[in-house]
Amino acid sequence: MLLWIRASESAEPARTGTAAVSEAIRGPFTRVAGRAAGVIGFVLVITIVVAALLAPWLATWDPFALSGPSLSKPSLNHIMGTDAIGRDLLSGLLYGARTSLLIAAAVGIIAGICGVTIGMLAGYKGGITDDFLMRMTEVFQVIPRFFLAAVAIALFGPGVSRIILVLGLTSWPVLARVVRAEILTTKQLDFVLASEALGASKLHLFRHVLLPQVLPAVLVLLGLLMGQVLLTEASLGFVGLGDPNVMTWGMLAGQAQGFFRVAWWLAVFPGITISAAVLGFNLIADALSSAVQRR
Amino acid sequence: MNSRYVVRRLAQVVPTVFGIVLIAFLLIHLAPGDPVLALAGDNGDAAYYAFMRHRFGLDRSLPEQIATYFLRVFSGDMGMSYVHGRSAVAVIMERAPATLLLTGSALLIAIVLSIPLGAVAARRPHSAADIGINAVALTLYSTPAFWLGQLAILTIALKLGLTPVQGMTSAGSMETGAMRALDVARHLFLPAMVLASQELAVLVRLTRSGLIDELSRDHVRTARAKGLTEAAVLIRHAMPRGLLPVVTVVGARAGQLIAGAIVTEIVFGWPGIGRLLLTSLQNRDTPLLLALFVLVSFTVVVANLLTDLIHAALDPRVRIR
Amino acid sequence: MDHYDRTGSSYGERSLVRGEFVQLRRCLLLLWIPVSAGAAACAREPARERPFVAAITTDPGHLNTAITTNGSVHTAGGLLYDGLVELDDNLKPVPALAESWEVEKGGSVYRFHLRHGVHWHDGQTLRAADVKFTFDSLLLKFHSRTRASLAPVLARIETPDDFTVEFILRRPYAPLLQQLNVEEAPIMPQHVFATGDPLHNPANIAPTGTGPYRFVSYSRGSEIRFTANKDYFGGPPAIRDIVLRVVPDPAVQVIALEAGEVDWLFGVPGPERARLRQDKRFTVSQTPGYSGGSNCISTLSFNLDRPLFRDIRVRRAVAHAVDRRQVLERVLFGQGRIADAPISSGIIFAHAAGLALPQLDTAQASRLLEEAGWRRTGNAFRASRGVNGVSDGTPLIIGFTVMPGQAQYGDLLRAQLRAAGIDLRVKALEPAVFSQTVFTARDFDTAIISYCNGTDPEIGVRRQYVSSSIGPVPFSNTAAYRNPEMDRLFDSAASALDPGIRTRLYRRIQEIAVRDQPYVWLVETLNTRAVNARCTGFGISPHFAATAHCTN
Repeated sequence: MLLWIRASESAEPARTGTAAVSEAIRGPFTRVAGRAAGVIGFVLVITIVVAALLAPWLATWDPFALSGPSLSKPSLNHIMGTDAIGRDLLSGLLYGARTSLLIAAAVGIIAGICGVTIGMLAGYKGGITDDFLMRMTEVFQVIPRFFLAAVAIALFGPGVSRIILVLGLTSWPVLARVVRAEILTTKQLDFVLASEALGASKLHLFRHVLLPQVLPAVLVLLGLLMGQVLLTEASLGFVGLGDPNVMTWGMLAGQAQGFFRVAWWLAVFPGITISAAVLGFNLIADALSSAVQRR
Repeated sequence: MNSRYVVRRLAQVVPTVFGIVLIAFLLIHLAPGDPVLALAGDNGDAAYYAFMRHRFGLDRSLPEQIATYFLRVFSGDMGMSYVHGRSAVAVIMERAPATLLLTGSALLIAIVLSIPLGAVAARRPHSAADIGINAVALTLYSTPAFWLGQLAILTIALKLGLTPVQGMTSAGSMETGAMRALDVARHLFLPAMVLASQELAVLVRLTRSGLIDELSRDHVRTARAKGLTEAAVLIRHAMPRGLLPVVTVVGARAGQLIAGAIVTEIVFGWPGIGRLLLTSLQNRDTPLLLALFVLVSFTVVVANLLTDLIHAALDPRVRIR
Repeated sequence: MDHYDRTGSSYGERSLVRGEFVQLRRCLLLLWIPVSAGAAACAREPARERPFVAAITTDPGHLNTAITTNGSVHTAGGLLYDGLVELDDNLKPVPALAESWEVEKGGSVYRFHLRHGVHWHDGQTLRAADVKFTFDSLLLKFHSRTRASLAPVLARIETPDDFTVEFILRRPYAPLLQQLNVEEAPIMPQHVFATGDPLHNPANIAPTGTGPYRFVSYSRGSEIRFTANKDYFGGPPAIRDIVLRVVPDPAVQVIALEAGEVDWLFGVPGPERARLRQDKRFTVSQTPGYSGGSNCISTLSFNLDRPLFRDIRVRRAVAHAVDRRQVLERVLFGQGRIADAPISSGIIFAHAAGLALPQLDTAQASRLLEEAGWRRTGNAFRASRGVNGVSDGTPLIIGFTVMPGQAQYGDLLRAQLRAAGIDLRVKALEPAVFSQTVFTARDFDTAIISYCNGTDPEIGVRRQYVSSSIGPVPFSNTAAYRNPEMDRLFDSAASALDPGIRTRLYRRIQEIAVRDQPYVWLVETLNTRAVNARCTGFGISPHFAATAHCTN
């Protein structure tokens, strides 16, 4: 969903900021509907976060142990059934929520830090710095993310830290562009000029004057990004590039391949879980952007 | 449109392409794993490896390999695929039309569906129809593509028998002309719909917000006051500018869609470049991987460029800074 | 029009009605498709003869089986070529391009008499020069398996006349004939490959062979078409047109089979096998052969360079901790059997029966580990106390390196070894990375390898045990196992022509292997093939369809 922002800002930097953010902001779920959707989103995400936190208490089995027969149907013992080698699927999903959310959050943090820093620097400094940073941003932006992730993981081997690194390092360009555009408009505003004139330090200016201005747009983008990361991780699992040592949703979705005729539960439960989580993040981002607009 | 803008925009492409080639080369050559071992299969000996290494220029230093590679890429030569024994570009070009057909149709379907849906949603914001359309689009967007694809194959293709299960043509089909087009269209329907459903959410929202914007403008109010029907107002007065953001998205999406098609191609056995990527990864076909990476990224650069130029031509507000 | 059309009328009519119904639905569906194909196209499709469609997983890239051991090339190219000999179901060599042969000088000269009147698909006659050229310029340079096994023993090839080929060997060599079939040594036309670089010869994608099928066309990433070779020396095949169709997702392959889009699967995913077997529309069979190898044993290899595994007690403990029945049931879904000897039961003369392989015995595994100094201290996993060269308190962590297709072994073994207090960590690496990590860098604790024994121990077993094959060659002596007695035994077995002597020597080899336990032989894998029940008579060779026929 970064898309409706990415699209418009890819055109021309000067136009980007206001247009992009206002497009993001003018989501359909404003006012009442907005609140309802936002509530649904928060409920979905909070449920999953709580489930992840409480995984050791909620899970009925060790997710890696052979706790039942191979491919047994959902039953009281195994509420979502077992996989091919006899591991409990529900426990896998609960522990998987930890890793998958961790990946999404870590990618968000890396992308957030890179994007905000680069965007603020480019927007504030202008000139050659701006040109250089923006070209670099474009390089990272045009490289198709899934493509790069697949190549990098296939070549370097799977691993949670690698997925985080690859996705984190390729997800910041949109943020950087939006932040830069925000800064371009903000730095002309009276109170910024005033605090500059009053001799505020650069650091102070960045942290206390400019950052608060860009934060709302950044949060919206990060919400959308988290959903994207969950989907990308699932797709990597599907093409067989997941890490077998950790439970992730992508790995669970991936291992359902080849079983979806004989063990529907292996595809259905991870599929629904991933969709619900992604939907949750998207709805929250929507609600956030409506809130920003009302502000 | 300002010609300085065009020149400047074109000039920006050069460092971008340079950066992409460099990243791709470093990524692939610094990775562990010796391509010769993959080439040699499950047996062989030291002499054989030395022989293969020399054949493919893998015995030279890394900077030397990078320099040679840059020179070759800018003269249009991206090397020979290890596995296919032919020019990497030729191998990719054989597969590119299938991917372009799939992504192009998906985009077309998404646009054709999103304009009426967006218009319905825009006419009565916050109505049940508006919320319903958005909810469906958002849910489709949030569903993993491979899951949607497999579900579609099981229900629509296998249970109902409405479309073929996989591939781009019927097996062994030698048809040409209209019959072939029909055959391809039958196979195209399902994968294109799956891919389109993921685009729908984005386009519906843009259409909707663009139209809501325009519908509140003076010239639209004037048109209404003149007693034009709602449909005429919408089509003749609101759409031309209201759909401007859609144009931008479509262009920017076209490139990313190609990469997004990888999963769909695998599920449906569509003979495009997405599958080529996966098999070359498994075979460690370095020249082919590099060429794929560079060409796909380059396509995205071109798509972005075209979008910007079209947008600049349509929208006088775009000005060089 | 062809032999498919001679079918019972009632069945034909029924399927016609159904055909029209499908046609109608398709046309309705088309109304939704925004493609300007035109409504005229919805007119009835002309009755088209149905080709036999076999699903393959990957686009092979090219079809020259003499320059690669890549399995996908061999699957796709197998129909096109012939070897000097063919191996029957008991792996006995039978005539193919060579009509007869003599073995002389105690097994160091093999003379082959070529069949007369065999034509290449382009009409030229097959001659002895083609055979010599294929070995000298293609197989011994580019076919890594044949190169590895024959180059050291082959002195030269001579062609006394146009239809006689002599292999002059450096020493007596028993298993030569097993390596001259179409899989290991397909014969290529000299007149096509004589000039230019064989790796880039246009004939690699538009090939000429002598085989039962001739090449028609190749749609990249989509399908390869063949048609029957009416002049085939073994008689024209009954199935006229064959299409090899690329369907990458194995689950979708099964659906395509059920939907009637595909007639043949070279492999069926384990879990689907039981379902297909109960379906009367399909015939399901098991073979020991895969493209690129046969008689394969999934084998856990210890890295004997690591101090931990120099202790035989640790190796034995791991062997006792593994539940191989569960591996067979949950990883292979019954497609195979528990390995009961280091050499596959498929090589009947060499397989030793009644060996005492370690069986599942967690208590025994625990005892051995305690003895070796790996003690349980209340934690789930063991730690060292008094192990030579290991500081006390080091946890017992063992790495397990796999290729992505074998990750399931890792998942299962991790859970099994846990019961014995071993912390198994799975590392999944793509094939190229796997080869470099395991064979070149030797940076692994344990790894899983599918050792395809082939048709003779000389082909696929020797490399696993002799000290000369320790080194950076994929799928060689993974364990780095050294035993001079073993080296001598393998050399004797290769040059002994008497089958009885060979059997005795290989038995001794297996006894030593079991005693030293450089590997844990887990399961022999079988490959499941499925075919539409309308077609019968398939062979196990790469020519699989040449002997088959279909009814409509």
